[in-house]
Amino acid sequence: MALLRLVSLLVFMLALGAQALTPSHHLSPSDVDRLQAILSQPFTDLKSAYFSIVGLSKLGLSVADANGACSFIKANVDSSSVESLFYAAEASQALASCEIHVSNETRDLLHAAVSEDSTVSQIHQAVSALSSFGLPLASQEVVSALKARISKEDNVLAITLALQTASRLSQQAELGEILEEIEDLAARLDDLGGVYLQFEEGLEATALFVSAAYALSDHVDVEPPLKEDQVIQLVNSIFSKKSWDSLSEIFSVASAAAAFSNNRFHKPVIVSALGPATVSHSQPLLQLQVTDVLCQPLSSADVVVESASSVASKAAILSKTPFTLRDGIFELNFMASKPASGYYQFSVAVKGDSRLVANHVELKVKVSTKVAINNMDLSVVDKDQSIGTKTTRVEYPSKSKASFVADSHQNFAMTFQLVDETTGVELTPHQTFVRLHNQKTGQEVVFVAEPDSKNLYKFELDTAERKTEFDSMSGTYALYLMVGDATLENPVLWNVADLVLKFLEEEAPSTIQSKNLYVPKPEIQHLFREPEKRPPTVLSNTFTALILSPLLLLLILWFKLGANISNFSLSPSSLLFHIGHAAMLGLMYVYWTHLDMFQTLKYLAIIGSLTFLAGNRMLAQKAVKRIAAEQSSRLAKYRSLR
Amino acid sequence: MSDSVFSVLTRFVEEYRNRTSSKLKVIDAYLLYILLTGAFQFLYCLLVGTFPFNSFLSGFISSVGSFILAVCLRIQINPQNKGEFLSVSPERAFADFLFAHTVLHLVVVNFIG
Repeated sequence: MALLRLVSLLVFMLALGAQALTPSHHLSPSDVDRLQAILSQPFTDLKSAYFSIVGLSKLGLSVADANGACSFIKANVDSSSVESLFYAAEASQALASCEIHVSNETRDLLHAAVSEDSTVSQIHQAVSALSSFGLPLASQEVVSALKARISKEDNVLAITLALQTASRLSQQAELGEILEEIEDLAARLDDLGGVYLQFEEGLEATALFVSAAYALSDHVDVEPPLKEDQVIQLVNSIFSKKSWDSLSEIFSVASAAAAFSNNRFHKPVIVSALGPATVSHSQPLLQLQVTDVLCQPLSSADVVVESASSVASKAAILSKTPFTLRDGIFELNFMASKPASGYYQFSVAVKGDSRLVANHVELKVKVSTKVAINNMDLSVVDKDQSIGTKTTRVEYPSKSKASFVADSHQNFAMTFQLVDETTGVELTPHQTFVRLHNQKTGQEVVFVAEPDSKNLYKFELDTAERKTEFDSMSGTYALYLMVGDATLENPVLWNVADLVLKFLEEEAPSTIQSKNLYVPKPEIQHLFREPEKRPPTVLSNTFTALILSPLLLLLILWFKLGANISNFSLSPSSLLFHIGHAAMLGLMYVYWTHLDMFQTLKYLAIIGSLTFLAGNRMLAQKAVKRIAAEQSSRLAKYRSLR
Repeated sequence: MSDSVFSVLTRFVEEYRNRTSSKLKVIDAYLLYILLTGAFQFLYCLLVGTFPFNSFLSGFISSVGSFILAVCLRIQINPQNKGEFLSVSPERAFADFLFAHTVLHLVVVNFIG
């Protein structure tokens, strides 16, 4: 039965091996130390004593002063409270030799707490206390009470406590239904981005669930229904928080860590490189730390490199090579396989225990090397190739004694090779620059040296072609070679020679202005819109006069026609009307010069209404007069006709 | 041909002088004045260009509007048209004329800038 399970587990793990998750968050040794330190702090009350003592025992440690702790528990236990008895019982059991005397009343109290009327938490505390005190308990009764309570209290914490309680019961009891709760509860976990798996109730609930699930699974020897990826996601969730809020949270993390390290089914493995994953001739060993969740090294494991291939060329370097264990660190001499410098992709497998989870890890390893510069040849070549070249060889790191002179008819050429110091293999680093620095003016020009097909680096400076970059400034330039790469241990800055460049004098500017990008720029003057061209004033004035002239004509015509104001009645309404009308016209002028529409409308309303009333009166009077005149004239006509 | 045109014109002028009441002639003089003012404004615009366009428009529209309102007044006051304007007495016509002018001037002054 066990063998079948083992085989199926192996097959399952191998099937998932290619795509398995690895823990992205785990406790580091300093985190574990911090956990210990907080749990070792002096206790304030019985509850904190329980967390500290039991938490430390889960981490495999014991309290500093066991006797003092025992007397503290005995002094602070309250025999009438189930909770207090629970803390005391669990804590005293974790201590090596601490016996608490239990009276009959206490025992009865604890038994009475196991019923359908108590909460799951109370049942859990009572059952744990009874079990820790070594008192007998009726497992079947507990099971039925738990089942009844689970259906009533359907929250995560209650079911977790029920699982924890069931792990203290006799193996003969029917724990099958409670065991199924693990699966239901696992379904309630939230998958966050494929990386984390946790309850929305938080870290403590998730950690307590893990410890309860594994406790019960170990007790009944049935594998918990958690997949490998889920286990890793749980590890990520629980161990991602490195500073904890409360003692109960720390206790839950410690319990979960202990559960992951010590259960019978799943053991998450944490593989990490010690320091940067870099090897070189001075440091040929690749060192890995292979630990469980509590940073304890897995000394019995076999760590094997399944394959190692170069990232650039995809050529396989190693296959099925084991690591050797030394002082808890797994080591491999990678330089013994004489790899070329660069990056390598390692696939590491940890074997030896069927419980191991996340035991296939991908690692990127860098092999770095030292570079040597060979065959540095400098020469000044005439452009028309009429004069033979004279090559000067310079050895690194010395500088050439003679300086080179090149004017606009000549080219300056430089060739060299970059090789691996130890193996002599040609290298092509990322950065190969040639820097020319004019000490007098501070000018600096940088060129790139390119390798040809045979990995021979060439640099050619055509003096005439490149004169703009030098601003045609003749003078002595110090020539530097700069070589750099991520896989080089010794980046190079080498003053190779001095180069005197001669440009045609008339092209050189009198002073070199440093190309400073951050000087204030010339100020931009805003150009306002120019007003449109107007006609000459004479013309405008002429036309103004011209337009006013018809008014004169009008007055003349009216005079000739005999229009007069003899009929002007001096009644108040007509006076008011005329004044009002004149005021309205005046308002129009004021509107043109000073006011806006709203103000004008306001004044117009006032003046207008007055004018209207007056005008109405006046016109009515006029109408009356007119009708009277018409009637009298009609009467006169009538009379004359007769 | 020109003979008949000339005789028509002379006849027209004579009839006008004799038959039209002086009240209407006063209004006609006013109409002539408005016409000339508008014409001179237009001439200026043709000569110099339409800058500023809003001023030209408001002045021209003022002339045109005044002309139209005066024509309306003349029609309504004319006793020969009394049959068509039974509900509108001359005083009422004049009051309408004044009110319409107020609105016209308001708009013109707003637009003149």
